Amino acid sequence: MEMMIYAILSLKNYSGNLNALLVNMQDNDGMNLEAVSFDGIAAVVSNIEKTSVIADKSNAIAYAGVIETLMPYFTLLPMRYGSIMESTVMIEKMLERNHDEMQQILEKVENKFEFGLKIFCDSEKLRSELSIKMQEDTIAPTNHSTETINSVFREYVNKKLKEHRLEELMLTYVDSVAAGINEYLDRWNAISKFKKMSTAANIIDAVFLLDKDKKEALIRAVEDLQKQHASLTFILTGPWPPYNFVDFTIK
Amino acid sequence: MHDNVIDRSKDITILELLDRVLNKGVILTGDIVISVADVDLVYLGVKLMLCSVETMEQLKSGKPIVEK
Repeated sequence: MEMMIYAILSLKNYSGNLNALLVNMQDNDGMNLEAVSFDGIAAVVSNIEKTSVIADKSNAIAYAGVIETLMPYFTLLPMRYGSIMESTVMIEKMLERNHDEMQQILEKVENKFEFGLKIFCDSEKLRSELSIKMQEDTIAPTNHSTETINSVFREYVNKKLKEHRLEELMLTYVDSVAAGINEYLDRWNAISKFKKMSTAANIIDAVFLLDKDKKEALIRAVEDLQKQHASLTFILTGPWPPYNFVDFTIK
Repeated sequence: MHDNVIDRSKDITILELLDRVLNKGVILTGDIVISVADVDLVYLGVKLMLCSVETMEQLKSGKPIVEK
């Protein structure tokens, strides 16, 4: 029997009975959760058969459910699904070995939530609008000889140039939307990670780590931005445990 | 239209959750043990899944699907 690790908790501000809390929470297989503690931090674990660690939807959702149930009580570092060690003794040694680094990251994410923001566009419509704008902005070409105008090479270069300009316009547009978001994030000292143009339709895929008390302000800001960019679809998700802000590999 | 947005946002929330649980979080070196089920495999990578959402929408709207 192995031990599945769900999260590393900070016990700094928790005065309740951790084991009593965990007894009331059961994971998806009905196994009891337990805590392995070391000097102010604890790993929440449960017994598990290695063969039952299958990456399917129900297991992943159940695993996330345990972490989210812990989230209101503790500052925590969520573990990736499938993190398994052989015994509580090994887990305790692991906590001891990684204690300082874990404490540092726990401090970084203390009193903070993660949010995800995805922004979608109708890519064909947006490209067509930008293409019209590009044509309007383009200065009419000067006269060339018939030979040059009909040149296949020139046609090809013009086509590529147009595509390149359209890409540039798309990026400028996406940057302007991102700048609107960053204006708010800077005000709140949020940490953020942005991916632009993940797919043709998903123009922005961002995650933020910000103070818990900024949640309502974030929702209002996204509503405002949605009004400013009516042709885009803003999808805000969260609050999440800080999955995207715990870049740490346990030794 | 509004219902579509809600459905899509539910799908995205599930994808976001799966992406986080399976792909983010603290890593335990060498001990990630995940079997892949023959059926009900949900994780293909968010980018791929989002592409398939796009593809489904193109199908629904009757627009031609352009392979990228």
